Amino acid sequence: MTRYGGLGRTRPKKLTPKASIPIVREDEIDALDEEIQSSLQNIETGVEKAEEEEFHLQVAIKASARGKVNAAHIPTPETILSNLRYDELYPPIFSQPATYIRFSSTVEDCCGCPYNMTEEDDVFLKIFNQKRDAADQCSEDDFEATMNFFEETAQAKQPFAAVDGSPVPSFADMESAMDAAVEDCVKRFAKDIYEHWKARRMATENHGLQPSLKFETGQDTDDSDPYVCFRRREVRQIRKTRGRDAQSTEKLRRLRKELEDARQLIALVRQREIGRREMISMERQVFAQRTEVKEMKRKLNIKDDDEDLINQKPKKKQAEMPQRPNAPQLRLPLKGGLSGAEDLQLLEEVQAEKENDILRDIKQNISKHIKWNEGYVDHTRAPLSPSPERTFDTAAFRPAFTAQLPTPPSSEASDHNMMDTSLDVTSPLFARDKFASRAMELHEEPHKLPSFRRRIGRGGRLLVDRRNVVAARCAVDLDPLKADRFKYDQEDSDDEDVYDTDGYSLQIMQHRAITMAKAREQAAVAAQAHAQAHAQAQSQRRLQTDQQPGHNPPVNSVQAALSET
Amino acid sequence: MGVRDSGEAATGTPDPVERGFATLNTIRIGVKAMVQKDGEIRKAEILSIRQRKDGPSFYVHYVDFNKRLDEWVSSARIDLSQEVEWPQPEKAEKKKAAAANKAAPSKNIKNQRARADSRDVSGTPDALGGKNLNVGKAPRPSKAGGKENRGAETPGGDTSLFGSERVSAVGTPKAAESEDVDMPDVDGKEEDVPTPGGELITREEEIERLRTGGSMTQNPTEIHRVRNLTRLQMGKYDVEPWYFSPYPDSFSEVDLVYIDEFCLSYFDNQRAFERHRAKCTLVHPPGNEIYRDDYVSFFEVDGRRQRTWCRNLCLLSKLFLDHKTLYYDVDPFLFYCMCTRDETGCHLVGYFSKEKDSAEGYNLACIMTLPQYQRRGFGRLLISFSYELSKREGKLGSPEKPLSDLGLLGYRQYWRETLVELLSEPGREAMSENELAVLTSMTEKDVHETLVVCSMLRYHKGNWVIVLTDYVVEEHKKRLEKEKVKGARKIDPARLQWKPPVFTASSRTWNW
Repeated sequence: MTRYGGLGRTRPKKLTPKASIPIVREDEIDALDEEIQSSLQNIETGVEKAEEEEFHLQVAIKASARGKVNAAHIPTPETILSNLRYDELYPPIFSQPATYIRFSSTVEDCCGCPYNMTEEDDVFLKIFNQKRDAADQCSEDDFEATMNFFEETAQAKQPFAAVDGSPVPSFADMESAMDAAVEDCVKRFAKDIYEHWKARRMATENHGLQPSLKFETGQDTDDSDPYVCFRRREVRQIRKTRGRDAQSTEKLRRLRKELEDARQLIALVRQREIGRREMISMERQVFAQRTEVKEMKRKLNIKDDDEDLINQKPKKKQAEMPQRPNAPQLRLPLKGGLSGAEDLQLLEEVQAEKENDILRDIKQNISKHIKWNEGYVDHTRAPLSPSPERTFDTAAFRPAFTAQLPTPPSSEASDHNMMDTSLDVTSPLFARDKFASRAMELHEEPHKLPSFRRRIGRGGRLLVDRRNVVAARCAVDLDPLKADRFKYDQEDSDDEDVYDTDGYSLQIMQHRAITMAKAREQAAVAAQAHAQAHAQAQSQRRLQTDQQPGHNPPVNSVQAALSET
Repeated sequence: MGVRDSGEAATGTPDPVERGFATLNTIRIGVKAMVQKDGEIRKAEILSIRQRKDGPSFYVHYVDFNKRLDEWVSSARIDLSQEVEWPQPEKAEKKKAAAANKAAPSKNIKNQRARADSRDVSGTPDALGGKNLNVGKAPRPSKAGGKENRGAETPGGDTSLFGSERVSAVGTPKAAESEDVDMPDVDGKEEDVPTPGGELITREEEIERLRTGGSMTQNPTEIHRVRNLTRLQMGKYDVEPWYFSPYPDSFSEVDLVYIDEFCLSYFDNQRAFERHRAKCTLVHPPGNEIYRDDYVSFFEVDGRRQRTWCRNLCLLSKLFLDHKTLYYDVDPFLFYCMCTRDETGCHLVGYFSKEKDSAEGYNLACIMTLPQYQRRGFGRLLISFSYELSKREGKLGSPEKPLSDLGLLGYRQYWRETLVELLSEPGREAMSENELAVLTSMTEKDVHETLVVCSMLRYHKGNWVIVLTDYVVEEHKKRLEKEKVKGARKIDPARLQWKPPVFTASSRTWNW
């Protein structure tokens, strides 16, 4: 252990960072023991070890340790003033803004054409321009633009020219790369300058003419080549999944749609503004002409009601005319967007429509037949005879169930009226739809239900006629009662007991009648209560508006009334 | 000293003997000879040889001096009257390689550089295998005395196989020598230097470390190269580069490389440079100004958004920073650029880079004052600014290691002055290292080490005390007086318009 401050035999207390250390002046303590120097050995300089012992650094460190910092000096190669024509090359164009500078343009943005001429190019250009007349001279900028075009095209066509030794691209290649974005001067001079470019390019073994850094080429030699710099840091690959693909697709699609919307919006705004400008210029024209008219009137001393000098209503409309076609158009994309949703036809609608068509057809046919048969007595049971319900007295039948119909099981497939046999009926969604539409039908066509009528037959017999029951039984399972029985089979409400009962036993029918009646009664009571509450609420509102705001004792009473109901 | 004739060459033929006389014809890369420098004779290692019209010239590194003093010398300056140290010979194959290497420059008279030479060498198949291509270009430090076999640090006999990849944090050689590329980074003293970490980092590990953070390398394969540019023209000055920088390789053939002062673009042709100047409109670093006082402005430039500019800046600063690595791109760094202003624009004086998210808690990656502005206190301002940012972030920070020699001196001075200023405030009677750290945004470690280095932390009568030594007090007084006369060159936190930038996880995943 190194000894500190002359207290050789005792081990110094451990010094923690949080420990408060008194600050003293040097004269307040004993003279420094030379051994303190040895503690310096433990301090890392942070300089690479191999360089730590360098002569000048050691001199400097020792000097500062002895307290002579200014003696520490590490010699460096000298810099001298350049004989460059600085003022010409760096013009005094900078004016400092009052606020801090904010700037985001890149070097490429600020440097103009990236190709820079050399003396070799100067010679060529001079000779080249000598041969041309004054009006058709090639400026340095034009020349650089052209050379740059060649360089860039070559780079695009042969990205590995520096490595694979491909030949210098031909002029035909260059011509094929000229598109609308290429400047005119390039097109004008390209042919003449090409040979010069080619010659220079050949001289450098088809490398770029501008010196460039060495980047990765993907070759093995990259790693050890000291000139290869600024490698990319490989980014972590994100695992590809179908879900992520779909997500990105969706994102891209949405982005595209939004961009297109924005674009259209801008286009329309532009159109609107053009229209507005036209309108304004029109108004201006009108105004100018009116001024003329006014002066003319004064000159000619015409006195009338000056109707022609103010905007009249029809005129105003006309002025608005150019704008009008724009207005609805502005909403067009929105409509277009919505129309998609509107065009989506619901299955029920289609079904209902078809159903209606069929019914209409049938009705028409029936009425047709009745017309045909007018004045005739039909003794046959013609195939086109009216349907059975017409032969019976429909009014005498009463549907067995009225309002609360049992929910048929969703898997029931025997409904002949349904058009959706091809549909996936196991899907709960469709099952619900099916049920909904079915319930609707049942309301519309009570005759499809099992119905009963009581009549007194010969000899005073009491007869109950049934309708549709047999047909339903023939089908797989249309019986509502049985359907009711299996109603919860698919659902998970197992706690509800299912009782096996005979649906046609008198007792049960009686019971059903009673409950039905009760339900009706209840419904009536509820409706009444609702009406009452409604009335009360209305009166309350009236009261409140009459009263000063803030006084609200009546509210309590109303609430009480509501809770009563 | 005389140049020996070829008749005596026999004495200098490569042999296992460590020392011996050499002739101009037998001197080869790796030889340590005595070279005249500034009127004295220094031991220097030959790193490269090229043939000129007026005879060969040699690129030498003076042993125990910084590499920035490496230079080309003519044969006249090499003192062949003294014995030279021969590099440790290796194997028969290596000798052949060396012979081939020796032959190369003479065949190719035209201004051939060491870089090219060593590439030839690396191209020759040797027993060390393909991966050893590095050796050719990136000489490993070595010692002729067979120090590579220092027991504890040499894991086993088979190290030579992987030796070129293995780099120690302390820069000591672990591997087989490659005779033509020896570098004299190790000397006798080093044997006494403890190697605290003692850990070995392979090249792969270092590259992986750099991929995720950091900007400095200890890897000799990344440094220790022959300087490739001769001279720089930048702004009003001609500057001599100090170290290698991977500018386009054709630049090594020209005498003067032009750097645009504002966009930092580089040109090997004056006409092209002038044409560029006519078009370039940049007059300040392409970022947001975040600090401005009467003296300097600071600009924050994002490496990702201003890739070209920041690459240019890194290429430039590599010329003056030995351990800076340009292996990876500039995306994860922010560059804080200090400028002085005049009517032509904001002239870059120095900069420091900072990782957007430093895992090691560094508040600064690289720092450089351009040589034409050095020794004027700009470095201190840069350091001070980096701590001002850390204060704004509410973090303690420290610069990334290794420091350069100039960096170490600059930091030690800043640390000392900052601590002394705090400690000598009136009314201060006691302070903990933690308090000092929080007030300065320095790490506790830096605080502690600075106190120790300045012998301000002492154990006195059973208690620790911080001693304001006469020397530091005097220095502080002098500084205050100087500031009164010249005005204080300080960073004023009130003028800093800056919020710590926040980078989202996704930008970290995709953008770096």
